[in-house]
Amino acid sequence: MIAPQTLVFGILALLGLLSMVATYLAVTERDLVKAVVFSAIQSTAYAFMYYLLMAPDIVLVYVPVAVGLYPAVILFLIKKTERFEGE
Amino acid sequence: MSIEEQVTTFILVVLPIYIASFTLYVVRALKGPTVPDMVLAIDAMTYDLAAFLVVLAIFFRSPILVPVAIVLALWVYALDIYVAKYLESREMGE
Amino acid sequence: MDPAWILVILGEVLVAIGVLCDLVAAIGMLRFPNFYVRLHAATVGTIGGAFVPLVGAALIAAGSEFLGVYRWFMAGAALVTAFLVLILAPAGSHALARAAHRSRAAVVKPKVVDHLEEDRRGGEG
Repeated sequence: MIAPQTLVFGILALLGLLSMVATYLAVTERDLVKAVVFSAIQSTAYAFMYYLLMAPDIVLVYVPVAVGLYPAVILFLIKKTERFEGE
Repeated sequence: MSIEEQVTTFILVVLPIYIASFTLYVVRALKGPTVPDMVLAIDAMTYDLAAFLVVLAIFFRSPILVPVAIVLALWVYALDIYVAKYLESREMGE
Repeated sequence: MDPAWILVILGEVLVAIGVLCDLVAAIGMLRFPNFYVRLHAATVGTIGGAFVPLVGAALIAAGSEFLGVYRWFMAGAALVTAFLVLILAPAGSHALARAAHRSRAAVVKPKVVDHLEEDRRGGEG
């Protein structure tokens, strides 16, 4: 039988790796809408990490801010300006 | 065999399949050729993540973890609508 | 037979069906050629992979005595989440597909015919 601690630490390692990849892609992406979507992947991974660390109250605040409000504000800004980042 | 042992064993069997399917969804979400592909992959992945969170709350025996699933399902729908509205408004504006 | 056992076995069957649908939907999401075909995989993944195991998790939580009194809270919250997923997932997929078709964001690569596109172009011109 696997101990729950080992399981939690393994999933946390996978999620940290995923969030690092998503952040790197969001920083180097030229298309800003794709960068917003990569940022949403990173937010989902962080929400799952907070959940695994037994902090559901932080998840209840983090998910509306990072998945809801932040892409809305950034997409509104991109709509007012340009979609592709210039040189 | 009591109910507790049986439920724990079942969830331990189910858990690697969930993690494998999340990995496949994430591969599509990271390399999707267009924006709607990526948003669709995130959408499906997060609804499955909500189901997985409820199963994990049973596994950890802590009922306080469950309301996270409701919040996650509601706000990912909001992300979906934002991207759809952005794409349509760009088409209308031109 | 104890009614708790019936609830738990029923819930485990539903969760197993949901897990299989989830894996099939993930493979389809990775292998299908374009966006409109991937909508099928998304439907399998949301309704079959999220709604069915949420109902199953609610049944497991209702039958598990070891969770204490709060298991009814778990079952109710899981049922509310299942209802929300049942309503929200098709609405979101439909809005996304409509926006993708109207803004021509998704390219239909192996295409036979697209009558909606022809109708819209004929209506405009």
